[in-house]
Amino acid sequence: MINAARRFWPTVTVCLILLAMPYWMPLFGGYTELSTRILVLGLAAMALNFLLGFTGVLSFGHAAYFGLGAYGVGMAIKYLGTGTVSAIAVGTCAGTLAAALVGRLIVHLRGVYFAMVTIAFGQVFYFIAFRWNSVTGGDDGLTGWRRVPLDFGIAKLDILAGDKSFYYLVLVVFLAAAAAMAALIRSPFGRTLVAIRENERRARFLGIDVERHMWFSFVISSLFVSIAGSLFALLNNFVDPRVLRWDLSGSFVIMAVLGGMRSFWGPLVGAAVFVVLQDYVSSKTENWMSFVGLFFVLVVLFFPRGLLGLLRRRSSHESA
Amino acid sequence: MTQLVLFNVFNGLIVGAFYALMALGLSLILNLSGVINFAHGGFLALGGYIAFTLVPYVGFWGGLVLAPVLTALIGLLLEKVLIRRLYGRDPLYSLLLTFGLAYILEDATRYIWGARSLPYEVPSWLNYSLSPGLFFLTGYRLFMVALVAAAVAGLFALLKYTRLGMRIRAGTLDLETVSVLGVNVRILRNVNFGLGIYLAGIAGVLAAGMLGLQPTIGASLIMPSFVAIIVGGLGSLPGTLLGGLLIGVASGVTAVFAPSGTEAVIYVIMAIVLLVRPRGLLGEEGRV
Amino acid sequence: MSLLEIRSASRSFGSLLAVDEVSMAVETGELRAVIGPNGAGKTTFFNLISGLLSPTAGSIIFDGQDVTGTKPATRVGLGMARTFQITEIFPELTVRENLLIPVELAAGLKFSPRAPAAIQELIDQRVLDLLGTGNLDARADRLAGELSHGDQRATEIMMALALNPRLVLLDEPTAGMGDQETYAIAQLIRRLHRDAKLTIVLIEHDMRVVFNLADRITVLDRGKLLAEGSPKEIASNEVVQAAYLGKTE
Repeated sequence: MINAARRFWPTVTVCLILLAMPYWMPLFGGYTELSTRILVLGLAAMALNFLLGFTGVLSFGHAAYFGLGAYGVGMAIKYLGTGTVSAIAVGTCAGTLAAALVGRLIVHLRGVYFAMVTIAFGQVFYFIAFRWNSVTGGDDGLTGWRRVPLDFGIAKLDILAGDKSFYYLVLVVFLAAAAAMAALIRSPFGRTLVAIRENERRARFLGIDVERHMWFSFVISSLFVSIAGSLFALLNNFVDPRVLRWDLSGSFVIMAVLGGMRSFWGPLVGAAVFVVLQDYVSSKTENWMSFVGLFFVLVVLFFPRGLLGLLRRRSSHESA
Repeated sequence: MTQLVLFNVFNGLIVGAFYALMALGLSLILNLSGVINFAHGGFLALGGYIAFTLVPYVGFWGGLVLAPVLTALIGLLLEKVLIRRLYGRDPLYSLLLTFGLAYILEDATRYIWGARSLPYEVPSWLNYSLSPGLFFLTGYRLFMVALVAAAVAGLFALLKYTRLGMRIRAGTLDLETVSVLGVNVRILRNVNFGLGIYLAGIAGVLAAGMLGLQPTIGASLIMPSFVAIIVGGLGSLPGTLLGGLLIGVASGVTAVFAPSGTEAVIYVIMAIVLLVRPRGLLGEEGRV
Repeated sequence: MSLLEIRSASRSFGSLLAVDEVSMAVETGELRAVIGPNGAGKTTFFNLISGLLSPTAGSIIFDGQDVTGTKPATRVGLGMARTFQITEIFPELTVRENLLIPVELAAGLKFSPRAPAAIQELIDQRVLDLLGTGNLDARADRLAGELSHGDQRATEIMMALALNPRLVLLDEPTAGMGDQETYAIAQLIRRLHRDAKLTIVLIEHDMRVVFNLADRITVLDRGKLLAEGSPKEIASNEVVQAAYLGKTE
């Protein structure tokens, strides 16, 4: 359709930048692990934005499913001795299943109340991780496990020793997930979600079962966010309850808002800025919390449409 | 055994009264302005810390009276300078803003008063056991319940019998009409916000006396307030009160039979309420 | 059998009886106007028909099926489409996209990841046809929220049409419009009625539109059915005149 040409160049640019990231990052004082973190959190923010920016649903508790993905991976490797790919599958299933159940309970709510409930549910999982010491390691976190090198038979990928090889594994997963999300957004189904965002009443009166579609969007979004959580656990070789906390949920939202909720790659850009800033600030001062808070306040007051929103003209064709 | 149960139920009631006080402030702000004040916990902590600073000069009672007022003034200022700008917009933005404020407030208290726990002195004549048989019935705990009860009664009286209260109630139902009738909605929202923060301030001073002061004290109390509002019913202040007491007592009872589940039971109740009666126990239809 | 039958429907809000035992039968292919002074309960009546509200008494029969109490989406699925007094479209999407969505829904593509190539062509053609019928070709790629009031209304009507409905409910389609826009919308409605042979029920205040388009007219006043008949009958009906004139005092 008309949009294909316009999408091509940004997509190619992003891919090229990401492919080369471990090589140009150090030039700016970064390091490979930072790049991987940008990809992982960027995926999480994009997954959240599927729900927030494209369906118009204010979910503020997505860290719950991110965290379940992370704990799923950690526990699969530690207790079940699985390989990396299986562990990611376990983490993803855990997060998605939880989202499916929670989603059922809350799709009839809207606006700030919906947000409150998503936050509250996030805390449930935080508490379980915190309290269930024997299994999750409680506040100290789940230790004693690490990434398992990949063996494809014809080739091996030592993602444990090599930061760069792990980065490229994450990149492959990231691009696959991004492609899937893009395909969904541009599909007829994706358009029903945008319809719900634009005008719920009109969507309902076109025959769309709004609650059902919202549930699907919630589950799909959580699926991708739990993949991100799985990768996050692998990145750190460690999981602790902080991956389930509301402040991480809030970070995903601010990344999406900063980058631009209406744009596909926006959340990735927002994640990059956030991760780099947080890395820099926390190395300079103990009061990084104030800076993060200030960051939130400034973005809301001055960049509500996000960085990519500023670049785009109002009468753009890009809707989804 | 019965003593243990009684102890925990009573404790639960105190905790519930606490949750209710915090949740009521949160609910006031939410109902009128549609803002989830994530920073509410931060204001609670601020109230406690300000009282701590004032006590050497004005004593316990002076701190109790003045700290909430000062905290409310800070709240009024923040509402006027920051939060007010976001009313017309998508609720997402005010949520993010108060989120950021919560961070700033917590870090600010840590910066000003230090990260370590601070003790908060309660007058000794309050802090004794009223009965040898019922050891948990300390004067301070009774005092807390009494004070919360007084604050809540005061709030409901204000809402029912004063002009301000009437305007707040009307504004909660239909802000546009209230504005058309000549009420200055800006000032109304501002005062309402201050009122909510005032309640948080009181809760902060009381919490300080019971738990001591730490920068994270606010963050740990805000989630139960959320649940209290969800359980009690959206848009209903009596519901919020009921919700707070209910989850407080529930966690108290759970402490007897399943100590590790005291926090979880709050969320279990929330899940059940959402399943069976999504608008909450006393919630109004159409607010969801 | 009438396409739409309302049997003694009532709706109260507390002590306020907004609709009081109103009955109406609309035949296939008819264009029915519902008129009445302000506060007559016309929009509430529409809300009962379209499923936004449930009647406190009475029933709604659509195409022989009792749809009382069913959700709006169900009725849309059965062939009922409606527009609203305040235009409800997708403001941040282009006109083309606004029309694409109902066309895809009508083609049964609610959960699809992709439309098969053959169907895609039909879909694109249908969107073009709708744009043409609504005189929206020139503005197809503009954001719907930026259009003039009249064009937004036309978009909304074409969205309803995109669903291939059996019945279209139009709630004050010319509200807030000047003469030219009113004429354009009236022409559009006439085209839909004549060419697409649609059954249309419309609420209108503009009597020129009503008397030019309607086959039959239903008059409501203070929730009750006041009169029903052909335009000529209604025009000469003294009770109707009294209801309108009485209100202008």
